[in-house]
Amino acid sequence: MERLLNDNIVSQIREAFENLKHPVRVLFFGSKEDCDYCDDTRQLLEEVVAISDVLSLSVYDMEADADLARHFNVSMAPGIVIAAKEGDQITDLGVRMAGIPSGHEFSSLIQDLILVSGRDSGLNPQTREMLKALTKPVLLQVFVTPT
Amino acid sequence: MAMESDMVQAEMVEAMEFHDLSNRYGVSGVPHTVVNDGKGNVIGAVPETNLMAEIQRAVTR
Repeated sequence: MERLLNDNIVSQIREAFENLKHPVRVLFFGSKEDCDYCDDTRQLLEEVVAISDVLSLSVYDMEADADLARHFNVSMAPGIVIAAKEGDQITDLGVRMAGIPSGHEFSSLIQDLILVSGRDSGLNPQTREMLKALTKPVLLQVFVTPT
Repeated sequence: MAMESDMVQAEMVEAMEFHDLSNRYGVSGVPHTVVNDGKGNVIGAVPETNLMAEIQRAVTR
């Protein structure tokens, strides 16, 4: 299959990934039903994780792996979870994407991988304190378009 | 923000692919952040303090 990322983009990403610290596991949830972008998204993720040794990918199916999808709160395909990995332990940080991260959102994917690998949100201290003080669940859904 | 609290989940949603969901929340421009199924909304790219304030409003509603 033709590659989605050309050499120029791969070398830019490799540079951005130079200081990746801790292992990151990307979980992909596809679906055989009505999913126009699942194949492209999976291929895109395969090409991205291949760029750095600290990144790895597991591929799942929304229907066949329904329990796992529920565990990671994935309900839309393609679904992507960007999780921390320590040894064999995968820790869900609540960082997800629904839909293909292409165009402008491709840089959000790269940025998310860098943040999770650094285990540092980069937020200011006051915001961190307020987030840590939350006692009720919060779901943030950021709607974006590729252009 | 999700990284800082077990209470927080953050999901980036491709609005064109999931247009039923974007319609439900009245998304017409991006980025548009929906907090807790519509209890809060932030339109545009805003400083983290603004988003944090909207989160706090949404959880007390």
